[in-house]
Amino acid sequence: MNDTFLISIVTFTYFFAAFVFLISIIFHKKSVDKWALIITVAGLILQTSAIIMRWIHSYQLGIGHAPLSNFYESLVFFSWSIIFVYLIIRKRYPNKLFGILSAFFAFLILAYASLSGNVNCTIQPLIPALQSNWLISHVISSFLAYACFAIAFGTSILYLLKIKMNVSMLPDAPFLDEVTYKMISIGFVLLTLGIITGAAWADRAWGRYWGWDPKETWSLITWLIYGAFLHTHLARGWRGVKMSLVSIIGFIAVIFTYLGVNYVLAGLHSYL
Amino acid sequence: MIKKLHKLFSSVKLTIFLFLFLAATSILGTIIQQGLSMERYKTLYSPGVFSALKFFNIFDMYHSWWFTTLLILLSINIIVCTFKQVPRIIRLISPEKKEFDDTVFKSSQIRKIFQSQKKLSDIERQAEIIVKSLVGPPVKTAKGDAIYFLAEKGKYSRLGMILVHISILLILAGGLIGTMLGFAGQMNIVEGEKSDTVALFGGKGPEKLGFDVRCDDFTVEFYETGMPKEYKTDLAIIDDGGKVTSGTMRVNHPFIYKDLKFCQATYGIAGVSDFLIGARNNKTGKEIVLKPDIMKKVPLPGSNASFAIARFVTDHGGMGPAVLGVLLEPGKAHDIFWIFQDGHNINQQQKGGFIFTLKDFSRLYYTGIQVSKDPGVFIVWIGFCLIMMGFMLSLFFTHKRIWLKISGSQDKYEISIAASVSKNRKAFEEKLEELTRETTVE
Ligand code: HEM
Repeated sequence: MNDTFLISIVTFTYFFAAFVFLISIIFHKKSVDKWALIITVAGLILQTSAIIMRWIHSYQLGIGHAPLSNFYESLVFFSWSIIFVYLIIRKRYPNKLFGILSAFFAFLILAYASLSGNVNCTIQPLIPALQSNWLISHVISSFLAYACFAIAFGTSILYLLKIKMNVSMLPDAPFLDEVTYKMISIGFVLLTLGIITGAAWADRAWGRYWGWDPKETWSLITWLIYGAFLHTHLARGWRGVKMSLVSIIGFIAVIFTYLGVNYVLAGLHSYL
Repeated sequence: MIKKLHKLFSSVKLTIFLFLFLAATSILGTIIQQGLSMERYKTLYSPGVFSALKFFNIFDMYHSWWFTTLLILLSINIIVCTFKQVPRIIRLISPEKKEFDDTVFKSSQIRKIFQSQKKLSDIERQAEIIVKSLVGPPVKTAKGDAIYFLAEKGKYSRLGMILVHISILLILAGGLIGTMLGFAGQMNIVEGEKSDTVALFGGKGPEKLGFDVRCDDFTVEFYETGMPKEYKTDLAIIDDGGKVTSGTMRVNHPFIYKDLKFCQATYGIAGVSDFLIGARNNKTGKEIVLKPDIMKKVPLPGSNASFAIARFVTDHGGMGPAVLGVLLEPGKAHDIFWIFQDGHNINQQQKGGFIFTLKDFSRLYYTGIQVSKDPGVFIVWIGFCLIMMGFMLSLFFTHKRIWLKISGSQDKYEISIAASVSKNRKAFEEKLEELTRETTVE
């Protein structure tokens, strides 16, 4: 079996999981929620196997490398990270809405990876600059950070909906606020680690840890926005709405760092 | 004045402003390419825009006076804020006074008082459970009629924030040292040749190294797709005294000599020579091999024509290396056509009764080395390590402290609890409620 085929099964599994989470919200059934969780976990196990399979397959092709090196592989890992982070925080924040959000987000990313014409899913050989262990840790920490920010983005939107439109089925505002803050503080640490490992890689590859190329600069911009967010907690007058706005702007910067730099700006990182 | 400045620099609002302002202005440098030559910029922008951008140093904005000023303001902001926190943090982590001070039961962040009619030994057991499950194993002290339980955990997590802030200063300082005392540039050396000059990035002109760098050998391996798999250079450094230090440099594996780092960045073909062109006679099927130099005509045996190579390209239309061949037949116009390596049997190669192929040639490579010197890099790595440690301290550890006092006498004991936590206060309070519910008898 082929790993891309497995991934298309995973794509539908996450869609189905989101749907079952939705049913469990509408009918307030605990047992349904359990099924949604089982489906999500099954999806994650399947996805992990697909990633490992691809890894092994690349060695069989004689171009062995961790499957974290082109756009398709990064999308797959991004969606994996979102589900992974969701399952970790689920115990602490057992809210079914987060289940819908995460599963649906993961589904969207995989659907884009499989269906979009401009994502090449073949296993490609690695150019020499990408053959580095620093790069692997760089990609893992960056995408785990992105996953945390994606969840914080979701909770910030829910927060604004709750405050501005008073949607009653949503969790209370202070709870959403707390989740946003937690996800961003963890995401910030991971992003910092991502930038540091990226800097270490750049230092090995080009002899400079920081070169102000567009991708690097955008990761710094993202870092600054979330840094501002963390300090908004300390500045009175920046509670609630303003904080959510910073979190939303932060996620836009994440997306731009990930995609915009390659599609809109040119730079050294144009191979990812 | 000083007071006002102090107030400004100790404000978190300034921090947020600086963060967001730095973020916003940084975007500019990702839209406008940095470090090109002025001539290039002049062709890109109209004169008015050009002089405005030049005035604000946008062409090298991350090293401009105003960007540096923003970073300095941020550093002052960090120093002032962090120093302001130091006395509070010292107070929080300094060892607890042995004497119990009842004021904590009035002033603490989290407080609770309730009565119980249980036996003292039961209450004590319960108290121990509460303190232990909220914070940790308690220290028990009796003073007067009262019994005190105290537990504390994770106080050093308070240092996390200081560590993070100091690391930022270290990283900024390391960066500054690097830009002031270091340099970075590129040198291209053809196989077998040597050079002592680095072309600095950002149009800063050449830098003499004071010794020669020789490229002894360059090798490149390819994947089947033709994409480079690995390339490396055998380097030799020839010092003043003629001492030779040699080593190998691969992509992602720099060669380090003294305080200089040599990174394998690129490579290219400096020249080609020794062409072998196969010409197969269409009628006889016999192939002859020609050895023309570029722009030198050679006779084509078996005919009255002659042949020359006009040009060589490393890749023609994605079909690999090719030479532009010229067939000169008396009384006819020159026939010019591309000749490819074997495997690309395109019609064009059949000229004048021959089929031409490019059989072989030798490449002379040059190696592209990025040379850098950065005396600040060590400080930056220390900053990176410390910032992660600071994050770990403040993220994964919580400073929790709890005092519990049992006072009163038989049948009507009073239990007072005071606690403080550095984060997750709500969860702590909920757990406290739950633990005390069983004890409380109203
Ligand atoms: C690039 C610079 C900075 C970084 C990366 C940074 C990072 C952090 C982090 C990670 C925390 C801990 C957050 C938390 O536990 O919730 C923190 C706390 C704090 N920061 Fe910063 N900070 C920076 C600059 C500043 C500046 C300039 C100020 C000055 C106003 C400042 C003031 C504070 C204060 C007062 C705290 C709260 C400490 C506490 O009460 O626990 N920070 N900072």
